Amino acid sequence: MNYLTDSLHALATSLRNAFRAPTTVEFPDVIRPRPERYRTTFALLNDEQGDQLCIGCLMCERICPSTVIAIKAAGKRESPVTGKKRGYADDFVLDLSACIYCELCVQVCPVDAIVMTRAPEVPTFSREDLVLTMERLYANGVDKPRAWGDGTRLMAMQEPAPGAAPAHHAPKAPTPSGPSAHTDDKPASSAAVREEPQ
Amino acid sequence: MLRTLQVERRVDPHLSIDRYDPEAELLLLHFGPQHPATHGVFRMDLYLDGEIVVKCVPYVGYLHRAVEKLCEVLTYSQVTPIVDKNDYVSPMTNEQAINLAFEKLLGLEVPRRARWIRTVFAEMQRIASHLLWLGTFAMDLGGALGGGATVFMHAFRERESIMDLFEEVSGSRFHYNTHTIGGNRHDIPAGWSGRVKQALDVIEARIGEYEAMTLENRIFHERTRGVGVLDGTLALELGITGPNLRASGVDHDLRRDAPFHAYDEITVNVITAEGGDCLARTQVRMGELRESIRIVRAMIDSIPEGPINGGKPIKLVNSIKIPAGQTYVAMETPRGELGTYLIADGSPKAQRLKIRPPSLHALSAMPYILPGGTVSDALAILGSLDPIMGEVDR
Ligand code: SF4
Ligand code: SF4
Repeated sequence: MNYLTDSLHALATSLRNAFRAPTTVEFPDVIRPRPERYRTTFALLNDEQGDQLCIGCLMCERICPSTVIAIKAAGKRESPVTGKKRGYADDFVLDLSACIYCELCVQVCPVDAIVMTRAPEVPTFSREDLVLTMERLYANGVDKPRAWGDGTRLMAMQEPAPGAAPAHHAPKAPTPSGPSAHTDDKPASSAAVREEPQ
Repeated sequence: MLRTLQVERRVDPHLSIDRYDPEAELLLLHFGPQHPATHGVFRMDLYLDGEIVVKCVPYVGYLHRAVEKLCEVLTYSQVTPIVDKNDYVSPMTNEQAINLAFEKLLGLEVPRRARWIRTVFAEMQRIASHLLWLGTFAMDLGGALGGGATVFMHAFRERESIMDLFEEVSGSRFHYNTHTIGGNRHDIPAGWSGRVKQALDVIEARIGEYEAMTLENRIFHERTRGVGVLDGTLALELGITGPNLRASGVDHDLRRDAPFHAYDEITVNVITAEGGDCLARTQVRMGELRESIRIVRAMIDSIPEGPINGGKPIKLVNSIKIPAGQTYVAMETPRGELGTYLIADGSPKAQRLKIRPPSLHALSAMPYILPGGTVSDALAILGSLDPIMGEVDR
């Protein structure tokens, strides 16, 4: 080894890389392909009749590790669309500035009301813009493409229904080392203490 | 002359600075905390005799975010995404470590598919983490290596491909939250394994290029050989684990010695090197890059079928209650043994959760191995130990 040959060797490597196609793209003119499960900012969805999906159950507010969701739940009232009595949220604020994008709020929503979106343009010029009010969340639901994940899908991925299992989810053979805690029965393992709603 | 003199002085790093030769006119250099070479925010007080470091006093805590306390305030369901931010170069293994502790106390069986996926994630994360280390280490060594940031850019380019693959799984590039108590939250998408193999082919082909810039480069050798020698006994005494320990010739790897995930089903060739200097640490990590690629290749096509979650998906904030008890679970992350000590009291929140970060122990070697070296050696040694401050300070 000497300095000259080693340096030439390194230079050759650099040159070889100089002629490789770039792996970066000219954002924002070009947007890199985003995978199916790509997720950014949030949206609240309406159902087909235009009624708010959110029932104000507060599940997302409670699970949020950063406590950035604040909901004012309304009592049950008649739906203007179906006329049936159901819950609503009077106010729903999600403060993106402290959100860690953990997707737990999406996962726990029982009615798939809150989803994430595929809109990459989240950065803003002011902090106020990071506070998603109910209005903005519903607007996002209308004009931003929603992300793949929602409560039902995330739950189904983790707990495939026996029978209706997708191709890559063959029913699990019982493991020799212990009872499967996966069934809907009470887990046979005495250590697993799980509770249904408080 | 001066150098040999100082080398003798490095026997006891705990010696108060008052006990040093008052004639020596030592210069006190505050290194950090906001210095790019500190890999985060880390301060060292360096006492210099000319350019030779006589004494080094490290200070940590600048990135303290009370993660352990947060883990006691939040419920078990909410903790996983929080620990992503500990070792922010290897979030996957943080999630796994904490969930391993929960699962152990719950007595929850993780399905085989989930264990295999976790193993693949852990090894891919090791590749990404070592690539980041390689880039930053080469940058620490400075402009001598083909222009400073060259290796950095190359390594980051390849690391990006792994982050893209993780994004396909979890939808998030960095803070995945893809593990849950009892298994995984996201299944791997269709066709993913093919893309993993493609990315690995590219990375493997390019390891030779990184080596051309580093291990086969005389300038690199001169900056690293014999610098920051950490002998195996001292390393064990300080609790150093991972590549830093293996570079000191100690054959220890939890993946083989205390298998977790699916490591009991595959063979892990533990890479060791003799010498304990910065060069040996580089050799070990380069070897581990190749070994991790081999492990992922061996597993990716034979991930067993089945469910990915052995527990119930997280639905309610306090639905998971861990019975009273305590446990310590350790796993091998790219930096060494990441331990989780959990005391549960039967409620939905941990009574105490202690994280044992490998980087903290690696940093504790600084006062022992730095004295006798120069200021520029300080950067090389610090870089070669691969400390991640998010994990040190938590
Ligand atoms: S994604 Fe954001 S808002 Fe939703 S639970 Fe996580 S931190 Fe809270
Ligand atoms: S968004 Fe979903 S989880 Fe949150 S309050 Fe509405 S219905 Fe409940």
